[in-house]
Amino acid sequence: MNTSTKKWLFIKISSLILIPLMIWFILNFVSIYDKSFNEIVEFFSNSTSKFLFSLFIVFGFFFSALTISEVFEDYISQKNFKNVANILLYLSAIIIPLITIILLFNLN
Amino acid sequence: MENNNPLSPHLQIYRWHISSLVSISHRITGIINFVAFVLICLWASMLFLGEANYDSIEFLLNSIIGKFIILGLTWSFSFQILSEIRHLIMDMGYGFELKTTRITGLLVIFGSIFLTIIIFVLGKNFI
Repeated sequence: MNTSTKKWLFIKISSLILIPLMIWFILNFVSIYDKSFNEIVEFFSNSTSKFLFSLFIVFGFFFSALTISEVFEDYISQKNFKNVANILLYLSAIIIPLITIILLFNLN
Repeated sequence: MENNNPLSPHLQIYRWHISSLVSISHRITGIINFVAFVLICLWASMLFLGEANYDSIEFLLNSIIGKFIILGLTWSFSFQILSEIRHLIMDMGYGFELKTTRITGLLVIFGSIFLTIIIFVLGKNFI
């Protein structure tokens, strides 16, 4: 299996996982975004919410990074510029969810 | 180094169709969703800093601008969900006929608005 096929397969698998997680998150987000600090902390203190939210951001960033790198492939002609853009994209897709999950699991 | 591969799609050359509109919107909402994921992580991380630091976020989310952002984010997620389902169905080999692509494209466009409304009604009243 070549790299492009693997990438396509990863996009499809992650999108299948992400669709129900997106529905779960956006429904809950709409119901809590304007609530008080304590109510939102209570939502994230629930272990199911914590687990599902972690999955949501991991797969969300993974899927987005893969699809945006496809956009770079189609619209950026300079190879060096494209490589730098991809490195920054993949780094942010790893670091941002990782920091968020660490903070979330240390939330009192 | 210059890559000689042709860049696509040629938005200024081809005539616009429902499929091309859905395709480019899928890409644009994909980029918007990446920014949305960053903002969602920032929102969740702000909770760690305590109640005093969360006041400004709470004020923003309860303002007109905040509500507009939430509405836009919900539509963008709704569009991605429906468009991705359309892609998955096409990946299985269905829906390539011209008439079907137009119908499914319209379903994604209008369905995303409808789904946004449903999410708001369910989220605000039943969850």
